[in-house]
Amino acid sequence: MTHSPLRWTSLAERDAMLAAAGATSRDPGMAAPSAATAHEDHAHAHDDVRTEASSGPAALDALGSAASDVSRRTFLAAAGFSLAGVLAGCGRAPTQSAVPGSTQPEETIAGISTWYATTCGGCAAGCGLIVRCRDGRPVKIEGLPAHPISHGGVCAVGQAQLLSLYDSRRLRRPTIEGKESAWKDVDARVVGALTGVRSAGGAVRVLTGTVTSPSTLAAISGFLDAHPGGRHVVYDALSASALLDAHEAAFGARILPRFRLERATVILGLEADFLGTWISPVELTHGWRAGRTLEGVPPKLSFHAQVESALSLTGSNADRRFRVAPGQLGSFVAHLAARVAAKAATSAPAPADPSPVPVEALDDLAGRLVRARGASVVLCGSNDLDVQRLVVAVNQAIGAYGATIDLSAPSFQRAGDDAALAALIDEMEAGNVAALLVAGCNPVADAADGVRLAAALARVPTRIGLAERADETTAGLSVVLPAPHAFEAWDDAEPVAGVLCVSQPLIRPFGEPRTLRECLAAWAGKPASDPALVRATFAKDVAPRAGGTTTPERLWRQTVREGFLALRPRPSGAKAYDAVSVASASPRATAPAAGRLALVLGPTVGMLDGRHAQNPWLQELPDPITKLTWGNAASVSPATAGAANLSDGDVVRVAAAEGGVFIELPLLVQAGLADGVVAIPLGYGRLGTDRFAGVGPAWIEARPTVRKGESVGRNVSGFLRLVGGAVAYAGREVTVTRTGARDALSLSQTWGSQDLPKALAPRGHERRDAVRETTLAAFSTDPAAGNEAPHVGADLWSRDHATPGARWGMAIDLGACTGCSACVVACQSENNVPVVGKDEVRRRRDMAWLRIDRYYADVPGSPGDVDVVHQPMLCQHCENAPCETVCPVLATVHSADGLNAQVYNRCVGTRYCANNCPYKVRRFNWFDYASPDSLADLALNPDVTVRSRGVMEKCSFCVQRLHEARAEAKRAGRPLADGDARTACQQSCPAQAIVFGDLNDPKSRVAALLRDPRRYRVLEELNVRPSVGYLTKVRHRDGPAKGASHD
Amino acid sequence: MTDHAHEPPWIRPGTTLRQVTDDVCGRLEGRPGRLWWGGFLLSLGMLGIGLVSIGYLFLTGIGVWGLNRTVGWAFDITNFVFWVGIGHAGTLISAILLLFRQRWRTSINRSAEAMTIIAVMCAGIFPLIHMGRPWFAYWVFPYPNTRGSLWVNFRSPLLWDVFAIGTYFTISAVFWFVGMIPDLATLRDRAKTGVRKAVYRALALGWTGSTRSWHRHETVCLLLAGLATPLVLSVHSVVSFDFATSVLPGWHATIFPPYFVAGAVFSGFGMVLTLMLVARKVMALEAYITKRHVDVMCKVLLAMGCIVALAYATELYMAWYSGNPYEQFAFRNRLFGPMGWAYGVMVLCNVLVPQALWSRRLRGNLLVVFGISLLVNVGMWFERFVIIAGSLMRDFLPSSWADYAPTLAEIGTLIGSFGLFFTLFLLFCRFVPAIAMSEVKATIAHEAHEAAPADGSPPPNAADRPGARAAEDALAGGAR
Repeated sequence: MTHSPLRWTSLAERDAMLAAAGATSRDPGMAAPSAATAHEDHAHAHDDVRTEASSGPAALDALGSAASDVSRRTFLAAAGFSLAGVLAGCGRAPTQSAVPGSTQPEETIAGISTWYATTCGGCAAGCGLIVRCRDGRPVKIEGLPAHPISHGGVCAVGQAQLLSLYDSRRLRRPTIEGKESAWKDVDARVVGALTGVRSAGGAVRVLTGTVTSPSTLAAISGFLDAHPGGRHVVYDALSASALLDAHEAAFGARILPRFRLERATVILGLEADFLGTWISPVELTHGWRAGRTLEGVPPKLSFHAQVESALSLTGSNADRRFRVAPGQLGSFVAHLAARVAAKAATSAPAPADPSPVPVEALDDLAGRLVRARGASVVLCGSNDLDVQRLVVAVNQAIGAYGATIDLSAPSFQRAGDDAALAALIDEMEAGNVAALLVAGCNPVADAADGVRLAAALARVPTRIGLAERADETTAGLSVVLPAPHAFEAWDDAEPVAGVLCVSQPLIRPFGEPRTLRECLAAWAGKPASDPALVRATFAKDVAPRAGGTTTPERLWRQTVREGFLALRPRPSGAKAYDAVSVASASPRATAPAAGRLALVLGPTVGMLDGRHAQNPWLQELPDPITKLTWGNAASVSPATAGAANLSDGDVVRVAAAEGGVFIELPLLVQAGLADGVVAIPLGYGRLGTDRFAGVGPAWIEARPTVRKGESVGRNVSGFLRLVGGAVAYAGREVTVTRTGARDALSLSQTWGSQDLPKALAPRGHERRDAVRETTLAAFSTDPAAGNEAPHVGADLWSRDHATPGARWGMAIDLGACTGCSACVVACQSENNVPVVGKDEVRRRRDMAWLRIDRYYADVPGSPGDVDVVHQPMLCQHCENAPCETVCPVLATVHSADGLNAQVYNRCVGTRYCANNCPYKVRRFNWFDYASPDSLADLALNPDVTVRSRGVMEKCSFCVQRLHEARAEAKRAGRPLADGDARTACQQSCPAQAIVFGDLNDPKSRVAALLRDPRRYRVLEELNVRPSVGYLTKVRHRDGPAKGASHD
Repeated sequence: MTDHAHEPPWIRPGTTLRQVTDDVCGRLEGRPGRLWWGGFLLSLGMLGIGLVSIGYLFLTGIGVWGLNRTVGWAFDITNFVFWVGIGHAGTLISAILLLFRQRWRTSINRSAEAMTIIAVMCAGIFPLIHMGRPWFAYWVFPYPNTRGSLWVNFRSPLLWDVFAIGTYFTISAVFWFVGMIPDLATLRDRAKTGVRKAVYRALALGWTGSTRSWHRHETVCLLLAGLATPLVLSVHSVVSFDFATSVLPGWHATIFPPYFVAGAVFSGFGMVLTLMLVARKVMALEAYITKRHVDVMCKVLLAMGCIVALAYATELYMAWYSGNPYEQFAFRNRLFGPMGWAYGVMVLCNVLVPQALWSRRLRGNLLVVFGISLLVNVGMWFERFVIIAGSLMRDFLPSSWADYAPTLAEIGTLIGSFGLFFTLFLLFCRFVPAIAMSEVKATIAHEAHEAAPADGSPPPNAADRPGARAAEDALAGGAR
């Protein structure tokens, strides 16, 4: 019996399905244990009660197979169906209406949220989620607090998975040669083709991205066992191939080590954006944050240095940052290795070229790494095998393996092999592949040689693809099958050794998707559906590793309820360190020829490898560094731009010096880039993104977000190529020439510095101090360093806001905040913030209630280098709120719990409040912002009003969540405890930079933080008395505190 | 009034009372000329552009304007303050100058008051249409309601605006109409056709011209003048509170009330001059609006220009002296920032150009005066734009700094407000005596008396009749 040929026949049916969909509880730790099995029964039941009984033998089979375990519900449903059939036959028109929830499914109460633990499908990192469902549909994604990988954090991409679920462009039914077909026809055709291949001895290939699901891997290997000579080719669009290969050379096993940053006091990142995009950002952010708590004596603050050519989110958070062009990275690592070896009394090849960074800085860095032996780590994101080998040698020399780098319980979050994909393309071009199954990846768009692959596809007789959406790859396949969203299917994952994560369906699938497991099972002639397939692997492979004495059944229920299960990791196979194979050669420095620039390609926080290009939340999410939305741009440093006479918005032609690849893109002058480098984000320019042509309001002066037939941004993966068996993301020589055209950039922030324009700055007040910062040296002697109290004049305000109960307030730790923007999407999801489109962002009309201000500061004596700060900015809920006094109709007022409340239905839209807001956090509904997609309205939070045109809106401190928490406490008959009420931004922050609570409760965490000497309030001198406090940013540096003071 | 005898007369000598009636009424009774039609159609066209712009705005949303999350007001409130400012001269001329017994006002007060009322109507459009949900505009009035008795926010300057402008408009309109009653009666008496006669009869409110009527009329006029006088000062003070009570650097300034009043009078006189010079030529009113009128108004304009210049200088001084870095930056930015050109236009038009009026020769050159009056209007519009949009563009947090550029709909609305203004003004010229006949006649009589050898007998004009004299003395007493 298959799971997939199902459709809702009524809302009631869907509700019943959902009620059964796994463990249900408001608290994932306290779920009803019976739910998981209940779902299984219901899955069968609903299979059987399709009204489309005419859909053929498959349905009859299903009925037959379910007949053996007829439950009460199955019986009643079948009886109801029969009655309906009889009535339909009586000549009366069939009843079209559905009565949702008139008989309430168990555990679903209208208007009450239910929370389900599951696992994020946004990337291979495998973060734990709890998803809030209301009335049968997921409406909000949150982090699963106890999860051993994500620790309660969710990134921006994870948050946005909700909108990906409600996407009308997802594939719903299988197609054969572009024609919609039934699954049975697909199965027949595929089985027929595969039988032919097998008898002819043809080669079968399965091409996927990294797969962390044990059951899927088991299914693939089972499938390949049936096809002798078959191979599973794994590639990653954002490859860590060289990292894996280097560890294979050094330790005899191709494994991705797990980085334990929480154990590190010295962290060196080399082209590794581990806080933003690299491998597992939420996990690594948590670890990074754990070393920077500033607790204890001396204050706990790890030293983080970053070496990179482009400015990454991670680099923007580093204590020390070196700009090194891609051609110089190898030379840098060689010098570092030599110095570390000298200090640690090991050996390393002598560097061949001069060091790209000052020798003293290198010495200092090497000294720190060696002194912190066992607590230092080097993370390298370069995909150059020579560089990675040297980094392994450095990590070995500083004792990182076994301490800050875990080889015994490694990570599986990247398993791709660039060379394997290249070999596959060669095979295909030679006509040696008889059947290709592409599942869950889009290599034509995102792999090196994607163009060659697209052409080679035509030489494969049987081409099958399983994908959520039509994309560049499915365009070249003959059989295209719909894959489910992570919230529609059962799944398991072991992203890191010893942690099993489970996903459970949260909603009845839209359309008729099938998981890869189900497809392979069907084609192997042993059709089965999830969760049976997942559970089979669980019982056979997982449960024995869990230890303990519980039965697999109980263990499964527990795992579904909690979302994850700790296991004994399988032996990783890592052998003793083999020095000989590692420290072979010293990489040479290269530099582009005169007049050429070195190209650096990389992911952005929102788009990653482009798999989420169809998600408008992520398209509109300002890049944490560039603040660019809706597209990519070619970034060059101010010096490089000046030399080439380029400015923001110039459309430039970036052309590879060899190979004939070129692209035209707008230019963005980006501080902090290495000179002589042009950086372009990957992941844009995807097929079908012209669907967003209609995003944003239509009016006479509107420009479309994307023109019909074009795409959002430009795909630059054509510049990727294989160098030494690994995809080279950086270093390709290009020329950059101006085309003469202009394309205004849609930036959410245009003034990037706290420094006032030089010609206009009053003497002594050249810098605004919205963000205050200090050094570790200054902080150690004075915790209030860099945090001068401002002068607040005489107060004419009466303290007339009584807050008898709670008074809500927030503390934001700027030392912890990395700017990753998870909170921005969390807020958008929780509060129904609309998507406004490219042109509206360009007009500075983005609607974000919570934005992240990013400021650059020049580093004195180091031209071209910048310090970066990120500051989440939201309504400050001022006690003396300037907005409240000026509203003529009292549409914004103070609540008894200290909130500055906005009353939408009273607002007439004078915008006076926004003008008078010093923080400029109020957002006006310039138009009626329609949903970008017909299904997207299902993602709306039913607890939050959707604002109409002409009214002002702003952060409410998630007032609906406060009320829910209060009601829950009242129901439980206890007072509201600290931490009961959490705002959406706080909940998903991977760095736990945001703390929210009751300021009237002196024992609350927020009250304690607001007594911290680091606490300051932005624009305190205005005496608006904000309820949000910020903690100064402390950098691990020597020297005095930096920061402007007023008066 | 000391040296009237040595000055040329206010009204061209030899103008008889009958001639006044014929000159003023005759134009209303004949067919309008080609020039009037041309102007009227042009104005209607501009008004049409405005109506289309506003209609599009209502259908689509405030987003059709170039505003953004940082600049929440720009053309809308600039136009509002501009038109309110224009609306200042009329009441100043008719009320304050009446109390100060400035006889020259009689030739221009009617049209200046009409201009006031029309300008306030133009101004009133903007607070309405700038709302995101204009269909709920009535919520700004404190009326008993069933929404839990939701009240308005008496702390909001926008609410003060509602009252200040409402009061000002009401008093101005009543004052204007009451002053017009004798002239409407004249029109009624001259009217031939039924409709025309009926309308003017209704408007004349049964005026008989009896001594008692005249007495009451003069008394009411003076009382209304007394009521209107403080409003001249209060309206723009209250409008300035919109900005002065905010926290925004560049808005938050205690100098704003007098600064705005002076600016308003300045711009009002600029607009009166513009209109009078046109009307004088087009309607052949040279006999009534003489060069001497123009000369006096130029002096007022110059004086006001100097006050405005002083206000600008004070603002800059206070920014420096306050030691407030936000304030200092706001003004440096105003002068030298991205909108520095607008500040330049403002200083050029409002401070430098009016200095030409020190020259008696230039004051006598009507073309030059016309040009200056136009530039004053341009300059005063830019003053409001610089203050409103320029201050908003760069406030406290640099992350939110944003530029502003107007859209077609905003420009169309500005054009439309001028269209409305001129349409109504041209209708006024067609249907209402543009010159206060009764008052001009009094001036003629007064001048005839002053030109004649003094014989001690009381001058035979209406305003000096004993009853009126007493009231006038009573009200003007404080000023003496």
